[in-house]
Amino acid sequence: MAIQVSGITKQFGSFRALDAVDLEVRSGELLALLGPSGSGKTTLLRIMAGLEFADSGSLLLNGEEALSLTPRERQVGFVFQHYALFRHMTVFENVAFGMKVRPRGQRPTSSEIKRRVMELLELVQLAHFADRYPAQLSGGQRQRVALARALAIEPKVLLLDEPFGALDAKVRKELRRWLRKLHEDIHITSVFVTHDQEEALELADRVVVMSQGRIEQVGSPAEVYDRPASAFVYEFLGQVNRFDCVVADGVARTANGALSIPADGTVRGPAIAYVRPHDLGLSPSAGGPGRVSGIHVVGPDARIEIDLAGLPLEAEMDRERLSALGLRLGDQCTVHIDRARVFPQP
Amino acid sequence: MLAKKAVGFTPALADSRWVKGLLIATALAFLLLFLVLPLVAVFVEALRRGTDAYWAALMEPDAVAAIKLTLIVAAIAVPMNLLFGVAASWCIAKFDFRGKDVLITLIDLPFSVSPVISGLIYVLLFGLHGLMGPFLKSQGIQIIFAVPGLVLATVFVTFPFVARELIPLMQEQGNEEEEAALVLGASGWQTFWRVTLPNIKWGLLYGVLLCNARAMGEFGAVSVVSGHIRGETNTMPLHVEILYNEYNLVAAFAVASVLAMLALVTLVVKSVLEWRFGAELAATRH
Repeated sequence: MAIQVSGITKQFGSFRALDAVDLEVRSGELLALLGPSGSGKTTLLRIMAGLEFADSGSLLLNGEEALSLTPRERQVGFVFQHYALFRHMTVFENVAFGMKVRPRGQRPTSSEIKRRVMELLELVQLAHFADRYPAQLSGGQRQRVALARALAIEPKVLLLDEPFGALDAKVRKELRRWLRKLHEDIHITSVFVTHDQEEALELADRVVVMSQGRIEQVGSPAEVYDRPASAFVYEFLGQVNRFDCVVADGVARTANGALSIPADGTVRGPAIAYVRPHDLGLSPSAGGPGRVSGIHVVGPDARIEIDLAGLPLEAEMDRERLSALGLRLGDQCTVHIDRARVFPQP
Repeated sequence: MLAKKAVGFTPALADSRWVKGLLIATALAFLLLFLVLPLVAVFVEALRRGTDAYWAALMEPDAVAAIKLTLIVAAIAVPMNLLFGVAASWCIAKFDFRGKDVLITLIDLPFSVSPVISGLIYVLLFGLHGLMGPFLKSQGIQIIFAVPGLVLATVFVTFPFVARELIPLMQEQGNEEEEAALVLGASGWQTFWRVTLPNIKWGLLYGVLLCNARAMGEFGAVSVVSGHIRGETNTMPLHVEILYNEYNLVAAFAVASVLAMLALVTLVVKSVLEWRFGAELAATRH
């Protein structure tokens, strides 16, 4: 089912959480709402679910206006960051809840409910835990129960609010892959909120980058990473070197003249240049303008800090390449930039 | 620095058995002196002239009337406060609104105001010479020196017990489970009965037990509005006082012993529940 958000605005006191947001979620896709905290991504998700009210705008679920509908009428599945499992119910009862509260006419028989719950628990690989209470499960298991519970009402849309936010790094990665696979199997239109760019880029079909209640960019993970629409998106998606410069004749120069970067034709005057650490090349050179001021090795990668005539830079390369270059702390080097983006000074 | 301190302290605490023993002994002595001894004294005094005199004192018509009246007042006041308490804590814990702090302070008011004053306020409002006195008289409604006044005073004094017990519990549990229930298709009532109530039932039960104990034992506020009409508007605590002032010690302590029993039963019920459902209690509070 497709979701069409248009002109949704939400104000909390003097804070504008959402500022006339337009967004289309395509049927069957897995969409990520990515942004820092306070960017409005969770508010937008909660408005889609009916847990928060929009001040103005419209929300179409499958072409039907949904803002006036209650959460139960919207038939959405919602997964909370802190699971929100019913603590006094067993895993089985949690998953069965959505079916048991249906009006008498639409309620499945208890044997049908049982069959369906066990099927879902099978799907989330927790069939053995049907009689446990949530407090007896690990974080990853709880979140899988929450997912089974959300799917039990056969929702048309699945909304997930930072679903991996409360889990530790390893479980988070596993669950992420598992969710991707699950989505490929059942193809339910899904929207998930995250502040972790790696998670959004790995998991989603399309990524929506949000900042201060507005959408900065919508696109495939490769699009937003390779062609960021704004300085904010560039800075938010990964590590970055940022420096002030002035553009003239298609070349951006830093104030001390240590660095010049080719800039595309649209930008003129004061600007900000961005270079990703892995787009920064180094070569040892005795008279070079740069000096290696720090080397940090993290697993297979190396992070090298460069002092380029007073301008601090960070480069990234794999460890083997670093040892092939033979750069050591205090060595002089030259710096060349493979790829950069220049945005006009705001 | 904190960690260092803790390391330094733990063995010191573990070693000082003397201190531990002394503290336990002090606490026990205090409990014995101020709680157990008076309780024992009540029963000893009540049974001083034997069980026949004890039963006679309890079966005497005025005593029976007092016990009945106390039960009636509690039977009205406790369910009312159960309802008010759940409603008040629900709206305080689950919603944000202007004046929430004022409401919380108001709920605490009966704790901070002397019960005698709260009784007097009802007299000033509903008494014969009070604000609404003439109107009530013309309608033939009597509140002060009658059962309605006793109920009003008791409701006021025992109002905070349920709410005070529930507000922190509900605030700690937050809204997420209710939101989950709504999204899963539950109606407001279903959410309340199937999700909210099971999560607060132990706190609620405890609040009701305390509320009941106080409702039956309340003296000050009730004393002001009662009028002390024997066999009609005397509750048990008031009856005890009258008997005591008449130097009828055996009867006074006999009735008092019933009140004391009530306190003991409350305590036992609470302990049994905690022992029987301790694991579940811990699970819901996790």
